Amino acid sequence: MLVEESVEETIRQIVLKVVRKPDVDFTATTKFKDLEADSLDMVQILVAVEDAFDIEIADEEIKEIANMGDFIAFIKRKIADKG
Amino acid sequence: MENRKSLKGKIALITGGSHGIGRSITLKLAAEGSDVIINYFRKRDTAESTAQEAREKGVAAHIIKANVGDPEKIDSMFNEIEAKFGRLDMLINNAASGVARSALELDSRSWDWTMDINAKAFLLCAQKASKLMPNGGKMVSISSLGSQMVIPNYTAVGVSKAALEALTRYLAIELAPRGISVNGIASAAVETEALKIYTASLGLPQPSWQTTPVGRMVQPEDIANVVAFLCSDEAAMIRGQIIIVDGGRSLTPVGYTPTKSDQGGNLAEP
Repeated sequence: MLVEESVEETIRQIVLKVVRKPDVDFTATTKFKDLEADSLDMVQILVAVEDAFDIEIADEEIKEIANMGDFIAFIKRKIADKG
Repeated sequence: MENRKSLKGKIALITGGSHGIGRSITLKLAAEGSDVIINYFRKRDTAESTAQEAREKGVAAHIIKANVGDPEKIDSMFNEIEAKFGRLDMLINNAASGVARSALELDSRSWDWTMDINAKAFLLCAQKASKLMPNGGKMVSISSLGSQMVIPNYTAVGVSKAALEALTRYLAIELAPRGISVNGIASAAVETEALKIYTASLGLPQPSWQTTPVGRMVQPEDIANVVAFLCSDEAAMIRGQIIIVDGGRSLTPVGYTPTKSDQGGNLAEP
């Protein structure tokens, strides 16, 4: 549980740092567009998350991601798949 | 041209070498006999595929993931190259990125992102690469005609390419005494998937608008052929030059494509 919370917190910190909104309310239903993330933000978020968890994310894999809850769940699956 | 495998036994690093222009450069250098190190940013599958194509030409191919806009990643990449290969003969600075905005809309982070990847990366990679070239080597930077033209929303990329070309000249002079040649290539729009995405994102006409007096667009292979020449010993006295590869596009007015009637037949009448 602690590990899962750590993943979530790391992702939260990365996203809010990249979109330059450190104090925004961040919930599972928050969407990237709610954070006004542009295409450069998205690339920088993905690169930072890849680095943080030593995973690789294909653009195609995140096309259906609707909100932060989905994104965090997806990253947790990638980490689990890595073993 | 006779295939003499002029680069047999050499080792080349191609930044952004997995797709588009970079892929063609990788495969051309492999066809000339060079082992290739393919730097990629995010698409491992594409890098693996290009590496496999290179191996089928009888050379070794190695992939390294690194965002060349990040100095720490450049350090890691060269540490890996030194550990695995011990030296480098060619550096092809091809990786590029950019944020498409007008000058007045361009913010600081978009500027930095573009300049870091397109210009600063060549400086840092050249510094590292030169240490792995004790017996000389070749460096080629891939620029674009946008370094000298004004193209809608191309501001950051155009400026970064201008910086890249100036850096190419400085490096060429500093590294000449060490037997390292440095040159660049500036092309017109090259027919790649990236170009289609870029023009579509800006609402510009699709690439067919970029015809040349030759009657076709520049292809990735056109760039790769010049890279291979600049990496050959035959190009030894070419230093710090930006070779334009555009089928004559930059010499003609917009939309002008010569036809047979332009060939002065009347003047040739006896």
